[in-house]
Amino acid sequence: MKKQKARYKRFTRSRFGNVVYSLILILAGLFTIIPLIYSVVTSFKPLDELLAFPPKFFVVRPTFKNFAALPELLSNLEVPLSRYIVNTLFVTTSITVLQVVVSSMAAFVTCQVKNRLTKTFFTLVQFALLYNGTTLAVPQYLIFTKIGIIDTYWAYILPAMASTMGVFLIKQFMDQNVPDVLIEAARIDGAGAGRIFWQLVMPLAKPAWLTLTLFSFQNAWAATGGNLIFSESMKTLPSVMGSVVSSGLARSGSAMAVTVLMMIPPILVYMFTQSNVLETMSSAGIKE
Amino acid sequence: MITAKKHRSIESRHRRNGFLFILPWFIGVCLFFLKPLFQTVYFSFSKVSVDLGGFETKFVGFENYKYALFGSPEYLNNLMDSLSDFAYQIPIILILSFIIAVVLNSKFKGRSFFRSLYFIPVIIINSVVMQFLGNSSSVEELSGAAQSAYLGGLIDFEGLFLQMGIPVETTNLIFGYVNQIFDLIWQCGVQIVLFISGLQSIPEQLYEVSKVEGASKWEEFWYITVPMLGNSIVLVVIYTVVEFCVSQNNKVITQAYKVLLDQQIYDISSAMLWLYFAIIGSITATLFIVFYRLCLKKWQ
Repeated sequence: MKKQKARYKRFTRSRFGNVVYSLILILAGLFTIIPLIYSVVTSFKPLDELLAFPPKFFVVRPTFKNFAALPELLSNLEVPLSRYIVNTLFVTTSITVLQVVVSSMAAFVTCQVKNRLTKTFFTLVQFALLYNGTTLAVPQYLIFTKIGIIDTYWAYILPAMASTMGVFLIKQFMDQNVPDVLIEAARIDGAGAGRIFWQLVMPLAKPAWLTLTLFSFQNAWAATGGNLIFSESMKTLPSVMGSVVSSGLARSGSAMAVTVLMMIPPILVYMFTQSNVLETMSSAGIKE
Repeated sequence: MITAKKHRSIESRHRRNGFLFILPWFIGVCLFFLKPLFQTVYFSFSKVSVDLGGFETKFVGFENYKYALFGSPEYLNNLMDSLSDFAYQIPIILILSFIIAVVLNSKFKGRSFFRSLYFIPVIIINSVVMQFLGNSSSVEELSGAAQSAYLGGLIDFEGLFLQMGIPVETTNLIFGYVNQIFDLIWQCGVQIVLFISGLQSIPEQLYEVSKVEGASKWEEFWYITVPMLGNSIVLVVIYTVVEFCVSQNNKVITQAYKVLLDQQIYDISSAMLWLYFAIIGSITATLFIVFYRLCLKKWQ
């Protein structure tokens, strides 16, 4: 047992290799983490330190003023802040749930049906991923007007149905981890499609849909509705917070505070799902 | 006779259920993705005029593409810039994420911590923060704000450099590169995970055999690790290219957006984008064919 532990401590067999490995690890780690640390540190800086030239990396006299100023900054809005919070919570949960359920169902079917047509359609959609989502804004707007869902919650939620990335992730995972034999057995025992899906496939594919939950949460959390939402009472937290961020130099401390606050939920979700993420991504790498 | 009928009905029930299961996604993709997609293709080949009633389109062939290439002042330059970014950023991202993946794949204390660490940018970069900083209308401001907010940590060192008497040009040059490293490392998260999973799927026995046969580490790397990673490499390249095309820092995309959103010219912006994607797509496809012919076939 002890021997095993000792072996875990070194990377390679040579000392030179160890040094190189740890150097790479630490350097790349620093590059990843510095911006994060900087934004947290900056959110605690008093005004004079924010404007100091040349700026200092670390805070000298930390203050909570940036955070304390937020309630006041956000109090003179047209619509009470609670409305934005409720909107965001509602939109985020519905997008996430809808996306996860719809993609899992579609993935289940594409897994089961192995005819050429489905496969071709699926591949085509995959390649279409290359096309930037935002460039579709104008034609999408036309469609939204046609079905009359502009300026409603549906405008946030419905596009979540079209997640190609989600179907891809879950399908790859199901191919690896949900054996056909098991589904066949359940079918012979008389379980219906709904039952097979909810009680057999979903528990087995848990890492996959948890990963999608993470991705879709982080996207939904940032949803501003763009040009599809006009009325202030329908807007979400990011769009209000955005107005704080863009309100000038004197408030750059508060802007940082807002950024840090908004970063917390996705990171929390990540912490809950992180062990599953790696598992899912591993199955995404295996072809066929 | 009866059994056959029953059998058919179960089959058809399955088919109907399957159909019901995939229906929501199918509707979503068709309505919110494929239809708009084809509409932009159509836009790119026609003259779009906006009036009160809506849109009026007239087919004009390659007119818009011609205009984008020769008529608009900056498109060609942006295209060249973007392609040169493409040429050096994608190999750098590939190599960086590969190196980090190899390191993370070895056994050491706290590797799960480091693995999560490198994935954190993926969580944040797409989400709130970036969009936030970009909430101020134009895309250009977004990248500017993101740079100053996120890379601002380095201003400290930059000031130090200036105080040390190093000329401004050199400082700027150095920090231009350093800033890019930040950007590039922040784009490596998913690629690292994909490479790690690829590395883990290589059977241990291969290495044992090669050790017995007396292969050096270097030979092990080139003759086992790299060939066995063939499929992972393909996947990572696809992912990286997609990310590159979707990125907000992309000059062509930025210009097309400007034309699209500020000036409301739908036909030309669609043409600009499709031309760009056609070029990137054909480059990637050629690379894959070459890669497949030269390497994958030999390795398998």
